Amino acid sequence: MKSHQIILLTLSLVLGQTALAGKSLTIAAAADLRFALDEILDLYRPQHPDAAIEVIYGSSGKMTTQILNGAPYDLFFSADIAFPERLHREGFAVTEPSVYAIGRIVIWSKRQDASNMRLDDLMQPAIRRVAIAQPAHAPYGLRAREALQAGGLWDDIQPKLVFGENIAHAAQMVESEAADVGIIALSLARFPPLAAHGYSVIDDALHEPLTQGYVVTRHGSDNTLARDFARYMMQAEARAVMKRYGFELPANE
Amino acid sequence: MNLEITARLQHGAFTLDVNNTFPLQGVTALFGRSGCGKTTLLRIIAGLEHPRGARVCYGDQTWQGGGDFVPLAKRRIGLVFQEHSLLPHRNVRGNLEYGYKRTPPNLRRLHLPEVCELLGISPLLDRRIDQLSGGERQRVALGRALLCSPQLLLLDEPLAALDTQTKREIMPFLVRLSREAHVPILLVTHVPDEVERLADRVAFMHDGRVQRIEELHDALTRPDSPLFDEEGPVSVLEGTLSAPDAEGLCRFESGNVALHVLDPGGTRDSRLQRLRIRGRDVILALKDPEAISVVNRLPVTVEAVHSGASGESLVISRLSNGQALLALITTSSLRRLGLTEGSPCIALIKSLALHQPGRGEEGR
Amino acid sequence: MIELSPSDWVAIRLTLKLGLYTTGILLAIGTPLAWWLASGRSPLRTAVQSIVALPLVLPPTVLGFYLLLLLGPRGWIGGSLEAIGLTHLAFTFTGILIASVIYSMPFAVQPLFQAFTALGRRHVEVAASLGAGPIDRFFTVILPLTRGGFIIAATLSFAHTLGEFGAILMIGGSIPGRTKVLSVLIYDHAEAMNYTAAHQLSLLLLAFAFLVLFIVYAVNRRFDTVRP
Repeated sequence: MKSHQIILLTLSLVLGQTALAGKSLTIAAAADLRFALDEILDLYRPQHPDAAIEVIYGSSGKMTTQILNGAPYDLFFSADIAFPERLHREGFAVTEPSVYAIGRIVIWSKRQDASNMRLDDLMQPAIRRVAIAQPAHAPYGLRAREALQAGGLWDDIQPKLVFGENIAHAAQMVESEAADVGIIALSLARFPPLAAHGYSVIDDALHEPLTQGYVVTRHGSDNTLARDFARYMMQAEARAVMKRYGFELPANE
Repeated sequence: MNLEITARLQHGAFTLDVNNTFPLQGVTALFGRSGCGKTTLLRIIAGLEHPRGARVCYGDQTWQGGGDFVPLAKRRIGLVFQEHSLLPHRNVRGNLEYGYKRTPPNLRRLHLPEVCELLGISPLLDRRIDQLSGGERQRVALGRALLCSPQLLLLDEPLAALDTQTKREIMPFLVRLSREAHVPILLVTHVPDEVERLADRVAFMHDGRVQRIEELHDALTRPDSPLFDEEGPVSVLEGTLSAPDAEGLCRFESGNVALHVLDPGGTRDSRLQRLRIRGRDVILALKDPEAISVVNRLPVTVEAVHSGASGESLVISRLSNGQALLALITTSSLRRLGLTEGSPCIALIKSLALHQPGRGEEGR
Repeated sequence: MIELSPSDWVAIRLTLKLGLYTTGILLAIGTPLAWWLASGRSPLRTAVQSIVALPLVLPPTVLGFYLLLLLGPRGWIGGSLEAIGLTHLAFTFTGILIASVIYSMPFAVQPLFQAFTALGRRHVEVAASLGAGPIDRFFTVILPLTRGGFIIAATLSFAHTLGEFGAILMIGGSIPGRTKVLSVLIYDHAEAMNYTAAHQLSLLLLAFAFLVLFIVYAVNRRFDTVRP
């Protein structure tokens, strides 16, 4: 053992790294799942009263980076199956990536009724700030950009754009009225407090599909709860919730 | 007890280069101008500076050298600095006891009552530090250093930060301490007066080197003595001082020689005292002029004559008790009187010129 | 009235634990470091002082990013830990503790450095001459005379740790009970549009920050007038 390893060993012993006792499950989930997954977990938790189940939301790209850097997540629900595929390729996932939902993007506003808004309407002078998620690492931001590019608006709308760190952050910018309008996930716009304000779904011909996939990570390879919950997501109880939040679901195998 | 030091230290343009053995009985003054390296040398002795390759030995103890280094806390050195260094969060008693409590009981030679008595600090024991005057603080600092029964006392210009009045007040305590504490003292100073009153021996420092270590009476009979830089030549007589008579004059007796001086005031005891006589205050006469106001008329024998370029001549003579007396007269008068080695004459000294307190400041 | 959920309490406990550990470690390493900076003579002092002060000007995310690279499974430290059969430190309490210690370092070292500089070396040297060894000197001279500096260093490190966000998010993720501290939880509450919860916790932190600054200024005033 090299001397610096001895120091590190001592350091970690002194600082203490307590292993969690009992069964536990840590889920990393794309931010568009924030409300839907919370509801599903409310249904799932009573079936496993002894288990400590935690879910962390964020942009799929950031979550992927964290997993690559050793984040202790057992299960990863991405907003874009491309990320789980990458994890699988690099040996950080122990299951084949599989699709659990197809997402949609919508125009939503709290300041005005967005139920009849089209992409062109975003150029109105009265609309000064448009929130989208960061296209670089948030799939919903990337799809919003594709839709705006397809509509020929991308260059002109630049001065109006504000970027959320993930799609829930973008929605929160609109909800707080800091932004006039946002292009957000349908699943968020369906959250009852937000749904009261109306939204319009963007034509999915304008962007690549939001094929959302999940994997069990290497960290969760021995976690039976992770596989159990992944199965639960495919069952009727969970699918009903997902459907209510506007997700299209793959056919059950 | 000897202190041997070999050290070389470079601080910017200044180089300290010392390789000396200091005999340390009584008080040894380390004398030199500001910036000549006195304090640096003192700090090396204390172990507060430890230049590479230096060697410091005290008696048979090696404090530094050959890879060994004894930290200050284990050297049993008493340290007194020029500025106030009492611990502000402890009262006088707390400060005095700080070192005493940390001295192993079998090594304690000095105890609180005698040290308080020696330095006159008994009434201050329960005072806070900020309630002390500058002189009181230095006396407490001296007492604190003594109470750890040090084997060596290092005093770094202990009077330098005090005003004239306070120096007068504290000097007698220092004199007593040097006579009665029986601890070798190394006194750093740039004031000749302090050397002449306190030291038994003086080490002259210049430009980072110790030029010469000699007994005080040798240093005072050398016409080029650095001690003469400020006030000119000075003689120091040792003797006892009597109580003042009805007219306020005291008798200073040194062997078979007696002088009359004005009452110096302050604490007085019958023990050995020093009397400083400036050469320029001494008049030489071939015959005793009895009808004169000067009462101090002492027969002396000329021992050596040094004529300088400035028209002044230093006459070194011996009193009948064997002590040296220096007189500074003009070369013209020297010629007129025809004084040479072996000439007998009378030295006249005004009592007023022997007024002791604050003498050091008059010449500055 | 403030009503906190169990997950809020988990975050509060975690935050307090992080603050206490960070403060303890910072006092333990900050004291000798500040002493060395204040009284040493090494030419390295300026460089070390600059490194210690770096977190004052560096975006916390930069610190978090480099720590992630260093402590993660592919980093030098994290990788070495994995090699000897331990887990790496990214996304762990130890990881955010290391980040907090580095991030709050100037807030501990600076007040101590100033207190030690003002103290000077004289009292310590005198205490040494009176027979007090290094530890004795620290407790009987340095500590009582620089108490104000220690109180300020401790309160500021503690408070600054509570306010830390960027670095913790980078190195810690936001794992409940392990790395999800108050500031991260507030961000999470806001993103979930749970403004009531975000408000309550924010108010709590606001009140605490005020209290800390109040203590710091009160201590400053008191010790300014008492110091000799």
